[in-house]
Amino acid sequence: MTDLLFLAFAAVTIGAAILAIEARDLVYGAAALGIAFLGVAGLFFLLDAAYVGWFQIAVYIGAVVVLILFTVMLVGPRMGEAPLGLKRVSLLAAILVSLLLGMTGALANATAFPGQDSCGSGCDLYLLSTSLLKNYGVQLEFVSLVMAAAVIGALALSKTDRGQ
Amino acid sequence: MEPLSSFFAVSVILLGIGIYGLMTKRNAIRILFSVELIYNAANLNIIAFARLRNPPIATGQVLVLFTIALAAMEAAVGLSIIILVSRLNAEIDLSKLSKLKG
Repeated sequence: MTDLLFLAFAAVTIGAAILAIEARDLVYGAAALGIAFLGVAGLFFLLDAAYVGWFQIAVYIGAVVVLILFTVMLVGPRMGEAPLGLKRVSLLAAILVSLLLGMTGALANATAFPGQDSCGSGCDLYLLSTSLLKNYGVQLEFVSLVMAAAVIGALALSKTDRGQ
Repeated sequence: MEPLSSFFAVSVILLGIGIYGLMTKRNAIRILFSVELIYNAANLNIIAFARLRNPPIATGQVLVLFTIALAAMEAAVGLSIIILVSRLNAEIDLSKLSKLKG
């Protein structure tokens, strides 16, 4: 059962990721990116990280994909769709990426990381939240600070001097 | 449960797709897609390695929560830069933007 789920999630993730990069229309690309994020969230569920999976769905699909769609609409879906004309670069990139994948596959040892038992109470939300607030409270505050800075930065960027 | 190696394989393939997109695409939004895919590959890797430890600790999941938050901020700032560039240049093809060229 878990194997089937894993295969389904992995296939959906990889297929949607390829579609997101290669789709002609940016709107379809953004939708495919959302599906790829959903597949990664499913893999998180399989890895007993349910809270992270829900967080991924909420933040990536709820915020990032919607933001990207908004930007595509605002910038214009037709923009930047000119055919690339860089076949040599594409070929080089494909060769390099295949080399990366092949090298990783050759170095990988399929039995080095055996399947783990279900981690039971070790992976529950209680452990995660205590660790987040007790051990990493300062870092959490810093992330909030960076988030505020990012929001202010985005606002400052989008405010052009329209009066002149 | 699946061996963790298969999760690492998915992560590496996602990384490869992201690098391919970064190298071949010239559209700024498409490049942002690639960066997000690479973020997801890294997150998947961290979660899988965090799962490896016995007894489990929550550090890996906490790290991924921070990463997701930072990636969302990066997307917000990047998209606002893209909107600004498209307003100033009527173009988001990165090979044609040369305003900052020395």
